[in-house]
Amino acid sequence: MLSRTAENLYWTSRYLERADSISRLLEVAYRISLIPNTQEGYNNEWESILSTSGTKQEYTDLYKDIKKEKIEYFLLFDNNNFSSVKNCISKARDNIKMVRTAVTLEVWNAVNTLFYRYEEYVSKKYNSKELPEILDLIKRQVNLIKGTIINTQLLNDGFDFLTLGNYFERADFTARIIDVKYFILLPSSSFVGTQVDNFQWSLMLRSVSSYRAFKWAYGNSEIDYIKIIDFLVLNSQCPRSLFFSVEKIYHHLGRLKKSYGEKTISIPKINTLYKKIKNTSVNDILDEGLHDFLTNFIKDISSVYHSVEKKYFMSN
Amino acid sequence: MILLDMFNEVMNGSLVRKPYNKVFDWAEALPKNIILQKQIQAENLFKKIGVTFSVYNNYDVSERLIPFDMFPRILSVSEWSKIKKGIKQRSLAINAFLTDIYHSAEILKAKIIPEKLIYNNPAYDIKMVGFKVPKNVYSPIIGTDIIRTDNKDFKVLEDNCRTPSGVSYMIENREIMMRMFPELFENLKIETVEGYPSHLLDILRSLLPKNCKKEPNIVILTPGPLNSAYYEHSFLADMMGIELVQGSDLFVDNNIAYIKTTEGPKRVDIIYRRVDDEYLDPLYYKSDSLLGIPGIMNAYKVGNVNICSAPGAGIADDKAIYTFMPEIIKFYLGEEPVLKNIKTWRCYNEIEKKYVINNLKDLVVKEVHGSGGYGMLIGSDASKKELENFKKKIEIDPENFIAQPILELSTVPIFSKNKLSQRHVDLRPFSLIGNKKFKLVSGALTRVALKKNSLIVNSSQGGGVKDTWVLSE
Repeated sequence: MLSRTAENLYWTSRYLERADSISRLLEVAYRISLIPNTQEGYNNEWESILSTSGTKQEYTDLYKDIKKEKIEYFLLFDNNNFSSVKNCISKARDNIKMVRTAVTLEVWNAVNTLFYRYEEYVSKKYNSKELPEILDLIKRQVNLIKGTIINTQLLNDGFDFLTLGNYFERADFTARIIDVKYFILLPSSSFVGTQVDNFQWSLMLRSVSSYRAFKWAYGNSEIDYIKIIDFLVLNSQCPRSLFFSVEKIYHHLGRLKKSYGEKTISIPKINTLYKKIKNTSVNDILDEGLHDFLTNFIKDISSVYHSVEKKYFMSN
Repeated sequence: MILLDMFNEVMNGSLVRKPYNKVFDWAEALPKNIILQKQIQAENLFKKIGVTFSVYNNYDVSERLIPFDMFPRILSVSEWSKIKKGIKQRSLAINAFLTDIYHSAEILKAKIIPEKLIYNNPAYDIKMVGFKVPKNVYSPIIGTDIIRTDNKDFKVLEDNCRTPSGVSYMIENREIMMRMFPELFENLKIETVEGYPSHLLDILRSLLPKNCKKEPNIVILTPGPLNSAYYEHSFLADMMGIELVQGSDLFVDNNIAYIKTTEGPKRVDIIYRRVDDEYLDPLYYKSDSLLGIPGIMNAYKVGNVNICSAPGAGIADDKAIYTFMPEIIKFYLGEEPVLKNIKTWRCYNEIEKKYVINNLKDLVVKEVHGSGGYGMLIGSDASKKELENFKKKIEIDPENFIAQPILELSTVPIFSKNKLSQRHVDLRPFSLIGNKKFKLVSGALTRVALKKNSLIVNSSQGGGVKDTWVLSE
């Protein structure tokens, strides 16, 4: 397929995944705001949301104070925020518009519907009370688009690029969420197992939509940092874990290699990364240092992306 | 403006004309709430499919729908067969004319067209002189703008030989009508239009460049998503199963054109281009332009790739050349034109210019190189001041203007505030000319001026569209 088509498909799903992730972050923040007596942690929580979405600098350049409504607006609608949901949806649609011929009518319709439904909110003044329904809309429509992709697209190279965009974004985003909060995951002598910890951990699981899944995976046993690191980094069943994303990327790059009949290993870095994370234990991660592990992971995944970009998007 | 004389396609006095019999009854019987409901449904369908065009202002690009009216435009078998005959004749003559003026220029030697009208014309591409285009087809896709003046006569208003657009509306309008009113299609015998993309592919496939000996790789070249016809480009690519490319997706190496793909470069043989001449090749046209594919014209000239339509084909739809179309048809085909031209005064001629200036109030004046309804004066609607200004403009640059009588655009009703109301329409069929092939699907785009009494049907100026039916019996 056209290199540009591959690139447009990739970015379509990457931006959709980002819109979805941001809406999930906001959902957690909304939850906090409903719980009384968390005033102390309140500002921290909002700040960490900005850090996770990588937009703290832009926000503080634009607005002086950390305020719930402002942050919500900033993350959902602000044109000045490169990664606002509005910008993500517009960019996803711009990308898919360039490759209308590479997606099914149903996929196109689903993206278009998200765009028009969201436009209804964009065009009026933001009302914080509408936050839950806005978040619902984003999550529901993005899920619909993803389902439509799986159910209607031909499973060819285009499907591989669509999937790659999704998981490159997710790997990066999950790593950032853990990194921003890594301090709460580390054992501290006095707080392990306290109410505060449990609350923080459950928020973290919620922010990657894995609260229930965690319970299914580890039963009723007490939440602890080992289990959470295992779940969000290494668990092969958890669709939000780093390993899960890496495995998907590994799988789809392998499919591309096969369908294009490439003889040499085109992107060796993915093999290294895949093996590394597959053979790692929580203890190995703690030995390396969780923060360093995540920093290296983010570096590695971005380096794999640059190889993909060079090989498939800029070929001539 | 007085409209009483203009031809009403539906009513003949108090009687409904035959092709419209059933549809008129149907439209009259539609309950108001259903009309409203169906109009909303149609709009949603267009939105959902993404049949939009982009409008820019300084800050943003917004998308608009072309208004769609549900009352169909209908043509009988005999009406259509006359149109078809006339269009075929005109399309063949246009390609013969283009071949001639880029080679031996017999028509100029015969003094049928003044030389300066060709050689001083910016649409004439001097670099195409002497180059033999594949199968002598310069303009394989022609959109002919036709108006109906009375019960018998259809006249040609304009030929569009470069990159005519609107064919996707012809097809989508039909899709939407069939979805909303299936009962109409069960009761009437209406020719289908859905074959157009496969005919187009067939025509393009017949126009192989000299050095292509195998199944050609065909692509559509678009200026990109910001272009107002982008939807159509992607629609056609989709329907034909070919790649939709932009200039940056193509490159030329050693006089061979390639597209960049995930599997490396892939050779291209035929480019159906929807970009203007000057954006084809920066080495050939605008040296300061970053757009286009450097070297593509060389690849074309050595016969490694075909570009459809051929660069320089636009001279044939120039408004100054239009006035000679009856002579052009006679010269190359030895036939009388089936479809007449509109009476046109050429301002470069001193006598005709005087007439125009003295009768400006009763004329429509157009710039020779203008398009889309811009740069146009409708004498009867203009103020004194506007008339005076236009007179000056004509005196300064007479060669840039032609004038025509105020057009007699026929009328067809639209649903307006739940009742039928007459509006002016034109007709654009799309003909296809390949290697010894001619194809015209039985259907067309009908553009309608939605403003009451307006004669301007262009979508950029408040025009809408209608589904157009050719009855098969």
